[in-house]
Amino acid sequence: MISYLRRQASIYGAIAASVPKRFLAFEIWFWVGLVLGAIEMMILVFFWRAVYGQTATLGGLSLDQTLTYILLAQVFAALADQDLIWEFGYNLREGLIAHMLLRPVGFQTNYYVQALASLATRMIMQLPMALLATAAFGLRWPTDLAAWGAFLVSALLGYTALFFFHWILACLTFYTTEVWGLGVLVYGLTRFFSGGLMPLAIMPVWLRTLVLAIPFAQSLAIPLNFLSGITPVAEAPATWLFQLAWVIGLGVVSQLFFRVAVRKVTVQGG
Amino acid sequence: MQRYLNLYGAFLGQQFKSYAEYRANFIIGASSTIMMQAANLLTVWVVMQQIPDFNGWGFSELLLIYGLITLSKSINHMFADNLWTVGRVYIRSGQFDRFLVRPIDPLFHLIADRFCYDGVGNFLVGVVLLGAALAGLDLAWTPLVPLYILLAVLSGGGIFIALNLITCVTSFWIMDSVPVTRAIFDNHLFAQYPLTIYPKAVTTLLTWLIPYGFASFYPASYLLGHDVGVYAWAGPVVAAVLLFAGYRFWQFGLRHYSGTGS
Repeated sequence: MISYLRRQASIYGAIAASVPKRFLAFEIWFWVGLVLGAIEMMILVFFWRAVYGQTATLGGLSLDQTLTYILLAQVFAALADQDLIWEFGYNLREGLIAHMLLRPVGFQTNYYVQALASLATRMIMQLPMALLATAAFGLRWPTDLAAWGAFLVSALLGYTALFFFHWILACLTFYTTEVWGLGVLVYGLTRFFSGGLMPLAIMPVWLRTLVLAIPFAQSLAIPLNFLSGITPVAEAPATWLFQLAWVIGLGVVSQLFFRVAVRKVTVQGG
Repeated sequence: MQRYLNLYGAFLGQQFKSYAEYRANFIIGASSTIMMQAANLLTVWVVMQQIPDFNGWGFSELLLIYGLITLSKSINHMFADNLWTVGRVYIRSGQFDRFLVRPIDPLFHLIADRFCYDGVGNFLVGVVLLGAALAGLDLAWTPLVPLYILLAVLSGGGIFIALNLITCVTSFWIMDSVPVTRAIFDNHLFAQYPLTIYPKAVTTLLTWLIPYGFASFYPASYLLGHDVGVYAWAGPVVAAVLLFAGYRFWQFGLRHYSGTGS
């Protein structure tokens, strides 16, 4: 048993270690990413400042609370990112999917480990954005350790739920064969429904209900609500249980859907 | 000119035959850009339900700005999207060489080689936004208004194409110009909102260096009766100068193209 676990750790550790190397291979995108992130952060800050020029509170939140949330959402934006659709599309186009399905490692586990490693790498790469948010826009970092704890557990659960959700969406590429449109569509949905553009508290009730009924917000808005003080830490256990239900439900559905969809795989090249 | 128009029609016809084979992709692609725009628009709509105005601008006025820049962007998106991938798709693979041995302008060939159907979504969003904005605004309608809007959109499209052209030329040296193009292109996001909400430096940038302001804020301000002076009519001039500069820079880059040996 121990040797089995050791072997699995060695395999998936090697897979995880390869992810940062992939990011480092495209150094120019790191710098461009910073420029794009800075542009988006600036636009959102000035947008919300203009909004609050006409009101003291929105959805019960002050300008300071909203800006703290928005800046944290920009710094932790990687929580809402998943590459599965692009990965599946690339592997289909290049014919690599045939090899990957034959490898003696768990297909989904392989991608989950890569997603976690990718998240860790992106978070490190976001450090300049954290500095920008702090130095240029006065982001005040939370000091409550309990809030950080609630955030981290909620973020991990939410990110896992989102991974399974994207897995289901990525399986659609087996039917559509082309991924660009699907990828952009999901990116657009993620932008709004993850809660990265506005705190959920500002949304009207019907919209907030809709956002909470789909998984996008679980990885960004829900964890950030703890970190930005919008949701009290006392509500963390109930939130975690709810997120765990998302993880289990989506995990099961993603496996079942993959089993059906994989029969449709058409290798276009390679 | 007539020959190139006929050729463009022939290229377009071939591409539509290919798209007809992948109808699901066509629909998903066109609707994907609608969702991208919907994310920002939903944000604006939600806050505008709760505040009287946005830095002095009403909801319909914001839609006018957003609609103008979306329409301008859609022209670039539909007709000149290949400028994004000239390095990644054509130069790196050696496919660019075939443009150089055919009896038509290589830049025309590159642009005509792809009609990007994703841009149709942007175009539709732009039309709807512009329609909604004009319906909600109390504009004094004269024959000049639709002509001015058409001129503003075409100029804006020209500015988008010219800036993408200038940045894509770097692919003749660095192979993949997408990062360079993206770093400049994303500045248009500033111009989705009134430039008055930003510090002076951003307004200057969007007016003089990366002049996306002429694709949205300045024409919208003029239509709404705000005094923006000579900027109201500067869009076509800015577009023409940038397109000329872009084409000359393209020719300069082309002279330095040496192929990849692929």
